[in-house]
Amino acid sequence: MSDQRMTHELARDFAAAYVLGALEPVEEAAVREHLMSCPEPHDEFAELGGVVQYLAEIPDLEMVEPPAALRDRIMAAAAADLAARAGAAGPANAPLTAPTPTPLPTVAERTDRLERTERGTRRGASRLAWAVQIAAVVAIVVLAGWNLLLQGELSNARAYDQAIASVVDTAAKPGSQTVILAPAENSRASGIAAVAADGSVLMAMRDLPATAGTQVYEAWVIVPNSDPLAVGGFTVGPSGMAAFTTRPATTPAGSTIALTLEPTPGSTAPLGPIVAAGVSTAPKS
Amino acid sequence: MNDEPGPSGRVASAADDADRAVLVLVAAGQLDALQDLYDKYRTMAYSIALRITADASLAEDVVQDAFLGAWRNAARYVEGKGSVKTWLLSIVHHRAVDAVRRRRPTVELPEREAVPPSAMTLPDIWPEVAGNLDREDIAAALTSLSDVQREALELAYFGGLTQQEIASRTGTPLGTVKSRVRLGLLAMRRALIEAGQVASDGGIGPGGGAAGGRSGNPGGGALA
Repeated sequence: MSDQRMTHELARDFAAAYVLGALEPVEEAAVREHLMSCPEPHDEFAELGGVVQYLAEIPDLEMVEPPAALRDRIMAAAAADLAARAGAAGPANAPLTAPTPTPLPTVAERTDRLERTERGTRRGASRLAWAVQIAAVVAIVVLAGWNLLLQGELSNARAYDQAIASVVDTAAKPGSQTVILAPAENSRASGIAAVAADGSVLMAMRDLPATAGTQVYEAWVIVPNSDPLAVGGFTVGPSGMAAFTTRPATTPAGSTIALTLEPTPGSTAPLGPIVAAGVSTAPKS
Repeated sequence: MNDEPGPSGRVASAADDADRAVLVLVAAGQLDALQDLYDKYRTMAYSIALRITADASLAEDVVQDAFLGAWRNAARYVEGKGSVKTWLLSIVHHRAVDAVRRRRPTVELPEREAVPPSAMTLPDIWPEVAGNLDREDIAAALTSLSDVQREALELAYFGGLTQQEIASRTGTPLGTVKSRVRLGLLAMRRALIEAGQVASDGGIGPGGGAAGGRSGNPGGGALA
């Protein structure tokens, strides 16, 4: 057992560097392996390790607020992850299959935090509802996303995740609205969009058939009792994904955002079929 | 939240308990709870990541990875192995160090686990003491280090350098670096314990004085 003894001593010797993460990978792995199997206590790891966190609080560490968009990106990714778990458990367990537009929370709602979590029960449209809403939207993405993964189109899935995250970023800003674009008849295309305060529409779409020849997808803003207004077009490749920002337009809440497949660019009235559409919803104030 | 600090004045432990309650919800897949956790620690997490990576966009990726790691692995957080804050910030630290090491062309990294193994997420220094420490105490504890000790610790923690890399970077024998790292951590530990006990004896909160004498300090004597 003298070998083990040696290893035990060596591990002790490495403790300071180990808790700092300053060992070479091979050494670190050896120490970790030893710790998992060693029957004797290694208090020195806890003793020294407890100190490391205080290095993070050195006085000259400049405290910097992360960009606000980072939170939304993390929450969108976590929601996607949650949806993936639900998806992996089987479609029957998916949290929601038919999402309906739900207002995003106001800043006040989103900052009203801990107590409500601890109280447990909630009333009305809470941030949880908002989160589940996002999760539901992303669930569509992710459930289909498994197929993408199987097809080895991981990068496409990532690109779409990023597009979704951009939409969520925009939707979280004051004065914006959200739109869930549901597939029209004979279409599988779906996505989400955010109407920014300037009236431009940021959309993330998937399952769009690739455009061919002069074809373009054209986005339309349809204010009730008005003619559709073309706000920009784009082409789509074999991935079927699109992240697109339209021209600004006056888009009051309750407007329809629609996507049509047009034979040529520059249509001033929709000629082709609607592939996806949804109604814009403003957050509660 | 806790209106009545316990007899030992463990206000920070009440905060730890609140964090643990939030983490249980995170483990249960509650997005709200994740956002709570993020809002509480985002500035600290981002500041550490930014300092280590010196790159705003990489730091954002690190923080995102770390919180998603926490989100997916919250169930693996082991109570009694340190506060949630320590656990979370250690994930941030590991991710950031991995990120800068990956950026260096010469280093090959083994695939790391999403979350540091539990042996790497370490107990706080005795909650009773830690709860009494403020930033000034921590700053004071750092001044108890010699310049070379502090340099070695900062190169490791914020530079992501290994002992060997510190040795070659500073032109110091490896053995010397090893003892600087070790003695530096021990000196900080001692200073932190003293500061925590002084603060406790000074009677922060009701009953603080009474608690000072017996504040749990496992292994503290072994340092002498």
